[in-house]
Amino acid sequence: MAILVPPEIPPAAVSAALTTTNVRVTSSFRGARIVLYGAVFDPAERPSDVVVIVRGPDAPLRLARKTKVAGIWVNSRPVVFEGAPGFYMAASTKPLGEIASFGTLRRLGAGVDHLAINAPLEERIETRYGVRDVVVSRLGQDYLDWRRAVVRLKEESGLYAADDRGVSFVDKGLFRAEIDLPTAAPIGVYTAEIFLFQNGQPVSRRMRGLTVEKAGIERALYLFAHNRPWSYGLASVAIALAAGWAASVAFRRN
Amino acid sequence: MNAPVLIALGAAVGFISGLFGIGGGFLMTPVLIFLGIPPVVAVASEANHVAASSTSGVISYTRRKAVDFRMGGVLAAGGAVGSFIGVEIFRWLRLLGQADLVVSLSYLIFLGVIGALMFSESLSSILRRRRGEAPKRRKDRRPPWLYGLPFKMRFPRSRLYISVIPPITLGVFVGILSAIMGVGGGFVLVPAMVYILRMPAGVVVGTSLFQIIITTSLTSVLQAGRNQTVDVVLATLLLIGGVLGAQVGARASSRFRAEELRALLALIVLAVGLRMGLGLFFTPAEPFVLMAGNG
Repeated sequence: MAILVPPEIPPAAVSAALTTTNVRVTSSFRGARIVLYGAVFDPAERPSDVVVIVRGPDAPLRLARKTKVAGIWVNSRPVVFEGAPGFYMAASTKPLGEIASFGTLRRLGAGVDHLAINAPLEERIETRYGVRDVVVSRLGQDYLDWRRAVVRLKEESGLYAADDRGVSFVDKGLFRAEIDLPTAAPIGVYTAEIFLFQNGQPVSRRMRGLTVEKAGIERALYLFAHNRPWSYGLASVAIALAAGWAASVAFRRN
Repeated sequence: MNAPVLIALGAAVGFISGLFGIGGGFLMTPVLIFLGIPPVVAVASEANHVAASSTSGVISYTRRKAVDFRMGGVLAAGGAVGSFIGVEIFRWLRLLGQADLVVSLSYLIFLGVIGALMFSESLSSILRRRRGEAPKRRKDRRPPWLYGLPFKMRFPRSRLYISVIPPITLGVFVGILSAIMGVGGGFVLVPAMVYILRMPAGVVVGTSLFQIIITTSLTSVLQAGRNQTVDVVLATLLLIGGVLGAQVGARASSRFRAEELRALLALIVLAVGLRMGLGLFFTPAEPFVLMAGNG
């Protein structure tokens, strides 16, 4: 009979908490920084690495490449990518490649290179959003270029980030990481996964939730615009006409 | 984007719009795009802002009896049809990922051509005045095709008895532009009313503003309902500054000669058209463009 873990050494475990679990986006929202604290419990004090992965709600996206047609640069037909998170951050105590093998990282979706962003490999054309002939994929050889472009553009807008020194041990067994949410962070439920790696294997995992939601007048307007778009349009025009009329009356009296 | 900047921007564009008697959309939409607001939102919210500044203008023109409501109504009927078509075209372009291209190209072509024509016309009239020559007489002969068409209607304020086909066609065209470019369309409407419909100069600006209110209001409702791209906070901040600036600008305009104002406006129009369009010819730094999955 094989015993995988010797009984005299209890398995290592990780625990963590976020300083904020609810981010309120108001009209003055300029991004937020959330701190994650955690602890590693390991009586044997084996060398440990911590990886923190934060994901925002999934949102399909479209990518187009600019091509030169008759002297001007125009967008190619967009290709739909599915499964891309609206926000993604990977932070670790050292570069991911040194913590675990390619296969392990790929299985966990850890690191921007291992994100499961997929454009269907086979070309198919379908009707989407009421528009016929949307090319779902016809990438073939260029697939990696396109995939890298998604990550690069998301990184530029601060929505994807990878920091291989983002998790630091502040005391024995106690670590901290920072999550920077940009102004454009999508609304929805986020998850923070905390992995403890020893010997290239994830030995303990914790999951924490985080919600980003619109608040105050922004929330009311957002709901109004999406639930009752026609009334919203009429109201916005009414405001415009009233303001124009008011200004003209105010200036006439002067 | 912070509120004071947007109000100041609204006021600056409003001043220009009051000074020249234009809606100012052609200026505001590009500025918003340069500031990083997505073109689809800029175009839709700007229609709302133009409706406000035009309302403020049209009330003072009405007091001077400088609005031909019947002609404005006929133009607006065409404009309503044009808005429907334009919003659908815009939606389709957005889903194909080509909305930005068409917005840039429309700016380059329309503003480029109109700016160049206006500039050469105003320059030659400034030179003629400097040389002490009499201003060129406007040809009062109206083109015969205007009278050959059916469905004639009387427009007493404009002293016209013409077919409704040309004004309706013009309205449709301006309605489409309004939806695609986020402009009122005054820069197309005013010259067309003067040179094609041959309306008296006194009623042209007021009537064009009247038709613009109707068209942009409709565009605004349609963009909100169909595309959900109207940002009411953005539009409101802009129009607070805009309506005030427009009133100040309208007062300042009496200090300048008409042809000098036109030459200046022509230069602004040209500059905006070139700035919007020339980017299409340069190799982009980033060859890929990311778009939301649902357009």
